[in-house]
Amino acid sequence: MTKNLLNYSYYPGCSLHASAKEYDESTKGVFKALRIGLKEVPDWFCCGATPAHNVDELLSLSLCAKNLSLADNVEGDLAVACAACFSRLKTTQHRLTENDIKRKQVETAIAGSVSLEKPVKHLLEILAKDYGLDRLADAVKKPLTGLKVATYYGCLLTRPPDVPELDCCEAPTIMENVIAATGAEPVSWSHRLECCGANFTLSRPGVVLNLSNAILASAKRAGADCIMVACPLCHGNLDIRQKEIEEANGTRYGMPVFYMTQLLGLAVGVPTGKLGLESMIVNPLPLLREKQLL
Amino acid sequence: MKNSKMHLSTETMNLGFVRKVEALSGSSVRRCFQCGKCSAGCPMRTFMEHPPNRIVRLLQLGQWERVLAGRSIWYCASCETCSTRCPNKVDLAAIMDALRKLSWDANGPSKESYVQLANRLFIENIKTYGRQYEMRLAAVFNIKSGQFMKDFLLGPKLLTKGKLKVFHQKNRNIGEIEQIFSRIEEMRKKGEAP
Repeated sequence: MTKNLLNYSYYPGCSLHASAKEYDESTKGVFKALRIGLKEVPDWFCCGATPAHNVDELLSLSLCAKNLSLADNVEGDLAVACAACFSRLKTTQHRLTENDIKRKQVETAIAGSVSLEKPVKHLLEILAKDYGLDRLADAVKKPLTGLKVATYYGCLLTRPPDVPELDCCEAPTIMENVIAATGAEPVSWSHRLECCGANFTLSRPGVVLNLSNAILASAKRAGADCIMVACPLCHGNLDIRQKEIEEANGTRYGMPVFYMTQLLGLAVGVPTGKLGLESMIVNPLPLLREKQLL
Repeated sequence: MKNSKMHLSTETMNLGFVRKVEALSGSSVRRCFQCGKCSAGCPMRTFMEHPPNRIVRLLQLGQWERVLAGRSIWYCASCETCSTRCPNKVDLAAIMDALRKLSWDANGPSKESYVQLANRLFIENIKTYGRQYEMRLAAVFNIKSGQFMKDFLLGPKLLTKGKLKVFHQKNRNIGEIEQIFSRIEEMRKKGEAP
């Protein structure tokens, strides 16, 4: 067995074990191909996501602090795939570092000391910074030449500005850089940082039909062949609800929405059967065949 | 009225409530000077009866009941655009969290029940299972909100795509989560936590 170049502990988050299983599968595929080790944190819990911090900050901070202490048992910086989990874990580190009162409350809640030292990193950061864009470009076996990609950040990868520490909050380039390393062409478009409607998909899907429509329309206007995301909730709204969005707005997009690791996987030679392409609701195969990427 | 003046003082402001919001959110309410950048960038403003800057204004004017009784705070997506763009470092997204918590704790009247229901079920799922059980979340939401046919056609599609996990195992360390919930409850009973 060849030695890994880098090693991480891994917090997949709830969605990656259910509605976003192709994100989990393709992440593991890409990281294996790049020889980056991922060891899942045993018995991790839900981070509380938006609903917890919406009504109960102490619960949200305590759930994340508990997960951070579980992650301490596994070696390596903590790799996080979901933008929402990433945001909550980072927020917890920031809030508890700044605020002693909240820190003490959380320590009582989890009956232990909080550990805030382990760096929490989104997969994008690991690929672009730790692994490096040059190495990533070198690892490409099948360049995604001719594929026009609308890179969609959504909200929590860059906002609020002091929390994610990933890239500029208003003009980030990290997603474009990562996908450009594969030979694909990132398009310039207006809605890459706009909200998709997030978890209103359950309570008020009308919100999603409205906001996500604007995102799909913007990507189409920019001439994109597909959208690339790094968040399961964004994916759910843009892919799973796309047909409904088309019907509600009397339009047609047929826009495949890939997780970034699915596109990277194609480029670095992960077998297509291990990228979960069949799980996507908007069928990406015609596009990939047209671009001779299959 | 032509000569009417608006008087702002600590009395008109209802400083007690403002301080509560400021303590919970860790952000100043008083610092807002109504430039409106938050509302200009808010993706949800068209769904709100009070756009974000007006919510802060109402707090400054001591009219917090109007804010809590409305649906605006529940229509915030927590996208953080307002907090990102505020030139005066008012963390409006955190203020929204604080207002929702105050409304939630008071169990007060609100026009928005679906978002609250979704939040409650989401949190209950964490307590029961440790991790989110997406299919149960959606099913129970439909039953409790009386929308039995909501996403009726989506379910089977997701099932065939393997995106719905029908069976969901509880975390084997679920006891630790239950303890977190009960310790927080205890702290609140003793007045040691908000």
